[in-house]
Amino acid sequence: MASEESRFKVWQGTLDLISLRTLQAIGPQHVYAIATRLEQISEQPLKLNQGTLYSALVRLEQEGCVKGSWAKTDSHREAKFYARGRESARTRSGSLAPNGGVGVKGARGTGVTGDW
Amino acid sequence: MRTLRRFLVRVQALFLRHRMDADCAAEINSHVAMIEDELRRQGMSPTEARREARLKMGGIEQARELHHEARTFAWFESLVQDVRFALRMLRKNPGFTMVAVLTLALGIGANTAIFSMVNGVLLRPLPYPEPERLVRIWETKPGSPRNVINPVNFLDWHDQTHSFEAMATVDGADANIRANGEPMAVSALRVSTDFFSVLRTPPYLGRTFVAADGMPGQNHVTILSYRLWREQFDGDPSIIGRRSDVDGAPYVVIGVMPESFSFPGLKPQLFTPDALVRDQSSEGGRYLTAIARLKPGVTFDEAQRDIANVARTTERLRPKFNQGWSATVIPMLEDATEDVRRPLWVLFAAVGFVLLVACANLANLLLMRGTARLRELAVRSALGATRSRIIRQLLVESLFLSLAGMGAGLLLGLVGLHGLLGLIPASLALPRTESIVIDSRVLIFTCATTLATAVVAGLVPALRLSGSDPQKALALGSQRSSVGAGQLRILRLFVVAEMTLALLLTIGAGLMLRSFVRLISVNPGFNTTNLISMHIWTAPSRYNDNQKRSQYFGQLLERIRNTPGVESAGSIHFLPLTDRTSGSCFDSVEQPPPDVNSPGARFLVVSSDYFKTVGTTVLEGREFTDQDSIGRPSVAIVNHAFVQKFSPKQDAVDREYNVCWTVKNPVRIVGVVADARQTALDDDAPEPTMFISNAQAPMYFASIVVRTFGDPRQVTRDVEAAIHRVDPDQAISDVQNMTDVFSESVAAPRFQTVLLLIFAGLALLLAVVGIYGVMSNSVSQRTREIGIRVALGASASEVARMVLLEAISLGTVAVAMGILAALGLTRLLESLLFETSPTDVTTLVIGSIGVLVVATFSAVLPARRAMQVDPMVALRHE
Repeated sequence: MASEESRFKVWQGTLDLISLRTLQAIGPQHVYAIATRLEQISEQPLKLNQGTLYSALVRLEQEGCVKGSWAKTDSHREAKFYARGRESARTRSGSLAPNGGVGVKGARGTGVTGDW
Repeated sequence: MRTLRRFLVRVQALFLRHRMDADCAAEINSHVAMIEDELRRQGMSPTEARREARLKMGGIEQARELHHEARTFAWFESLVQDVRFALRMLRKNPGFTMVAVLTLALGIGANTAIFSMVNGVLLRPLPYPEPERLVRIWETKPGSPRNVINPVNFLDWHDQTHSFEAMATVDGADANIRANGEPMAVSALRVSTDFFSVLRTPPYLGRTFVAADGMPGQNHVTILSYRLWREQFDGDPSIIGRRSDVDGAPYVVIGVMPESFSFPGLKPQLFTPDALVRDQSSEGGRYLTAIARLKPGVTFDEAQRDIANVARTTERLRPKFNQGWSATVIPMLEDATEDVRRPLWVLFAAVGFVLLVACANLANLLLMRGTARLRELAVRSALGATRSRIIRQLLVESLFLSLAGMGAGLLLGLVGLHGLLGLIPASLALPRTESIVIDSRVLIFTCATTLATAVVAGLVPALRLSGSDPQKALALGSQRSSVGAGQLRILRLFVVAEMTLALLLTIGAGLMLRSFVRLISVNPGFNTTNLISMHIWTAPSRYNDNQKRSQYFGQLLERIRNTPGVESAGSIHFLPLTDRTSGSCFDSVEQPPPDVNSPGARFLVVSSDYFKTVGTTVLEGREFTDQDSIGRPSVAIVNHAFVQKFSPKQDAVDREYNVCWTVKNPVRIVGVVADARQTALDDDAPEPTMFISNAQAPMYFASIVVRTFGDPRQVTRDVEAAIHRVDPDQAISDVQNMTDVFSESVAAPRFQTVLLLIFAGLALLLAVVGIYGVMSNSVSQRTREIGIRVALGASASEVARMVLLEAISLGTVAVAMGILAALGLTRLLESLLFETSPTDVTTLVIGSIGVLVVATFSAVLPARRAMQVDPMVALRHE
């Protein structure tokens, strides 16, 4: 098990937004790719339970912000790719975790902004 | 908008479960596979890579959980799961399910039936617009809080009070109406013209009374009830304006009331206007009732004060008649339900007890059933079910049982209600039987009761079972079907509670039974065998003076006496045991003419031979004879109580009195008769009564009593024929056997007693089931102990005694608590009991013994099982 301090409590709304931003940056991808990207760009090693991304992505899909479809990856695996949907994401006004947030480069204050 | 879309998609997901599950599984599997691939590329071995991949995922099951939670309403799905499981469990154990459902059905059904009665009679508002503003007006004096009123006093209230929008008098009578040829006697109301303005019910056809209808010459108008119109006038739509003979005079029908219209306590078929005038003749006598509607915004207390004030004025205006009298208003609903309120609430409490017993039984059943599943629950707990989840599951089972019980209970309640309504005597033990149905309020009550039952009965077992340590439960052998020590304590507690409640009901029923038996053993003062009565109301137009009426009655009685089969005949103006009486004042001739301050007595108007006919002994002197006719000196008869009170030292016979009655004063006493009951069998003490001769002061109506030689039925027809030979238009009503009158006069106490006995029986029955269950369990749990005892030399009877003793000790505790509770609670029954103390020792003792016997009896089968325990098997039993 990874050590506890490196596993930040990511709040619901934040994860949705982060996922969306990631898709915006890297284009349509599957969950594994999104999780890998998040690990890459976090300031500290973000030991995210990759399964938790499903909460966010299912929500986003239900709201219409993303749309999922099955396709083959480069290595010929079947995976579900998520692309930006019709609904656009507004900046959520929920605040991040008290200890500063997700530790993503460029994140500041409330809401998640910055270049990815 | 987004959230709405999400909501809808989630709802959709409920139905597309399988597809979504498959999709989710595929996605997660591919995700894990990709992680694995990457790890293998980094150099891990396949097994290591697989394990690490799962760790990075955070657990596949957990991922699926999260996916599931996000995509649909997890709580709803688990609820559906619970429901399915509950149904499956109930189906797998039909015996348990049936007992539980039956228990509940009895409790809920009884409650539904009784609440329907309480609702229909006590809670529902009267069927008029704004019924809370309707009141009844009574005159009062010490000793008579609801006395009929005098018309001139009424006119004073009408003119001088300012709290009322409208006021009217009501006089119940029988009217002879001729429709389609045959005269028939119908119940009618003579009302002042504002009557319908007070009630404000619009007519179905035509119009209601207006002030002009009270004017002489214009007052031969009548309004029919819906039923009379349909039955006797064939529902003729052109009825308005038709003429019909009422009491021998032509009346014009001006309206028909709607089918739902009624007046509390009566079922009038006909309404005629009564003109109230201030004249000499109206200044004496109280015989009307009155209703009124409060003005909007006037409170009840204001109206009370208002009318009491005006009553003081009338007291000053006519002191001879009104001194000591006042007036009061009572809300009409309260007034109509006065006599039945206490009995109905008592019955309601009684069924409440029955339901509590049923709940206790259900709780025990659930607990005993649940401990058989302790292992299953432990496994669930180990697999991650939270305590609240398990509790929820168990509550869902309890709820299902309750719902099934509610369904069966509603059916039972419906059937029971029909039966009850049939038992209710026609003599209106309940004032408003027409509104007793299972309506929406009753249904809501039933649902609420069911819900409460489910929670109450299900909560303790659920808490108990879910709190057990899973490790211990798993360690128990799966064969163990009995409960642990803690559970047994709870079972015993519930059983003791059940028996206590059952005892309370038994004592209550026992008291009512004793009271009822004493009531019907009362000697009414007359002999009811082969005695029939019938009621006639003389047509005022045909017999409009004393001479004519006296002659008419004389002819009637003579014809009746000459009818074959008739032993004797007479008449009285208010038949005994029909809750009616009259009273008036009198004084001896040496005193000034009597007025309101003079001594009072009960007054009844009887014909010659009345006492001989009904079988009341003449103690001194004689009865009235045909010689005591109009024009001859006025005579009177008194009863024994009268002599005791007013002339104990001297001979009553030949004394003379002046009486406040429309007979030529003074009257001379010619006889003394034995005491007899008048209004009801539970009259407090024989009242001093003076009897006036009907020949000399004939009333408008009378109850003819006839004693026959043999079976009264054929003779009845001949008597009616004899009456019709004197006056073919005379309508006759209420032809009854006096034994029926007697029986109907105690119909209310009989009804209550029967119901309480039924409820006590139900509670005892349920208690038997409960005790049996607990004793069985106790024996099962102690099988090892019993085996040891037997192996050590205990005999079968000793073992049996052990079990029985346990049951008896539980019973004893229940009896002790029950008697304590009874001593406190039974005083609430006091007003319902006749010559029986609420703490009647015999009843308490018999009830207690009964409950102990029941407890012992219930433990017999378990005791036998205990006796059959084979020590070899028992010692191996876990």
